[in-house]
Amino acid sequence: MDFAWTDEEAAFRQRLRDFLAATLPDDWERFSQHGPASPALTKYAETFCGKLAEERLLTPHWPKDIGGEGLDPWHQTILAEEMWVAGEPRGGQYMNVNWIGPTLIRYGTPEQKARYLPPISEGRALWCQGFSEPGSGSDLASLRTRAVLEGDAYHVTGQKIWTSYAGLADTCFLVCRTSEDRKKGISILLVPMETPGITVRQIPSLIGEGDIHEVFFDDCVVPATARLGEEGDAWSIIGYSLTNERLGIPRYSLARGALDRAVAILKEKGNFVGEAPRIEAAQAAALCEAARMASYALVDRRARGEAIGAESSSARFATIMAERRVAEFVVEYLPEALADAHPYLKMHHQRGIVAGIAAGAAEIQLNIIATDVLNLPREPR
Amino acid sequence: MDLALTNDQIAILDALDSLAKPYASPAIHDAGFALTSAALDRELAEGGFLDVAFDPDLGTVTAALIAERLARLPYATEVAASALVRPLFGDDMVGPMCLMEGRHAKRPLRFLKAGVTVILVSADSVSSFVASDDQVRAEDALFGYPMGSLLVDPANVGATPHDVSPEDVKIRWRIALAVEAAGLLAAALESVCAYTTDRQQFGRPLASFQALRHRLAEAQVRTNGLYWLAMKAAATLDPGDAALAALHAQESARASVYDFHQFLGAMGMTLEHPLHLWTYRLKALASDLGGRGGQALAAADSLWG
Repeated sequence: MDFAWTDEEAAFRQRLRDFLAATLPDDWERFSQHGPASPALTKYAETFCGKLAEERLLTPHWPKDIGGEGLDPWHQTILAEEMWVAGEPRGGQYMNVNWIGPTLIRYGTPEQKARYLPPISEGRALWCQGFSEPGSGSDLASLRTRAVLEGDAYHVTGQKIWTSYAGLADTCFLVCRTSEDRKKGISILLVPMETPGITVRQIPSLIGEGDIHEVFFDDCVVPATARLGEEGDAWSIIGYSLTNERLGIPRYSLARGALDRAVAILKEKGNFVGEAPRIEAAQAAALCEAARMASYALVDRRARGEAIGAESSSARFATIMAERRVAEFVVEYLPEALADAHPYLKMHHQRGIVAGIAAGAAEIQLNIIATDVLNLPREPR
Repeated sequence: MDLALTNDQIAILDALDSLAKPYASPAIHDAGFALTSAALDRELAEGGFLDVAFDPDLGTVTAALIAERLARLPYATEVAASALVRPLFGDDMVGPMCLMEGRHAKRPLRFLKAGVTVILVSADSVSSFVASDDQVRAEDALFGYPMGSLLVDPANVGATPHDVSPEDVKIRWRIALAVEAAGLLAAALESVCAYTTDRQQFGRPLASFQALRHRLAEAQVRTNGLYWLAMKAAATLDPGDAALAALHAQESARASVYDFHQFLGAMGMTLEHPLHLWTYRLKALASDLGGRGGQALAAADSLWG
């Protein structure tokens, strides 16, 4: 076991920090409060991701033949950590490079790869994921948005909800029903958001402007060539995608960054002297570092080519514990951060609530751990 | 970063598992709160398992792996201090060892009995002495370790001073505590999962009820995080890493121990099930070095000054 970064890994991290310092605008921390899906940050992300791409830092973990550098999962982790702790200036494009791209690389047709991968690796694509529906949140397999094949096109009718980035996205990674079988009746369509019949309505949210939406599909005609994988393959493709997604967001890095910032502010005010805030801060730090190490253990396995499965839920839940504890610390000791005093902390607080809800709720993670890590008997249905 | 076990570590743990196998499932009816085995202690010492950290090629991580693995046994055996703290003092110091804080010298302590080497950590000095019969009393305590109390003032035992800083001892003490707690939590969790999977109520296994499943899953998250925090601290010997690992250990023990007994229902109140052999050791670790508050303050000092 070697817990030290290699010189090359440390240099890669430093290169990212130098890039961020040279690239982000002076008022970035205040600006980042707009939220990753806001029009302002989405527009800025196009510029930022374009520069990242020029430096070959947007998709360095992708294979070389499709625009990447072939770097290992440790580099992917370092990249993700540095972006998240900086407030994610890639906006919604983080999703492209973390899991949309890798999923297309694995399951896409040559035509789909040729159409969708270049815009992602050049930093000018924005996707949304059409997963949840009004009646299908954690129980995703109950989804009802229907795609009926007529000739060489699907007719899509239904509704998605709580869809991030839908307001400005150019393409939807749409999960829809193509037959009645609960899981084998679900398929994936890659749907341009300009397709006639799509209506998007923004939902006011706690996590920043423009973040979540309702998306209505009213007899949208989508060519059959837009299907990713075979009909009924969605469940296994989603499983692959979510494994990337769960490991792809190192929320512990931003949580720890926010904690360190909060402590620095308290120290400057002379308010980090009593035992209570010091104990609380250390408890939060322990949870951040436990989440970091649980994640690293999985990155290490991926770096050695091993598959990771249910254990990603354990790392994910550890991160949720860390996010909550840091947010609670700020609420208790720096409440002014939730007003306008400390933009970085406000940004963290807005986004932190997502940790236990998006990409599979915390309770789903606990179910997965119970069944597939601890091998406990399932709850009867 | 490379978190895989080395070939040496794999071989050592394999050998350890072979040695420990006969001790994995003892008859426990007569064990009381603590189960000990002189034969196991002797085999571990003779096998050199407590000395690995003296070998720079194996180091403290290998010692930590051994201590974590052995803590999973139902037997309480003095490993963590000998394997992780003793290397500060040289290989002429003889185990078993008892770690003692000067300010709490009269508390019941793990493994304190005649013949053990007591490491006395005071605010500004570190010393040691070998306890004698007339200095200690065995305690009939509600802990999963053999416990003893010091009957005399430690200032009057003629302890030998060491040129070792109290802070360095505390760093390794915290790591020893964390790796031992990681093994204890893992074994306790496994034991509870097995029982609640077998035990049927309302026509189904107890472990199929979400009320239990989620709390057991949370315990898995804590145990896994603790394992990695502890191993990292053993690798870096950084005071902040050590304090965070010990803090997470004591906090996770607090969060899990009563749940574990609760899930066993009435069986969780008996000495017929081995659960207490792990959980009542976790209780004994709870007060070390100031408990959670002590670790948290040490971590805050180290992380933020």
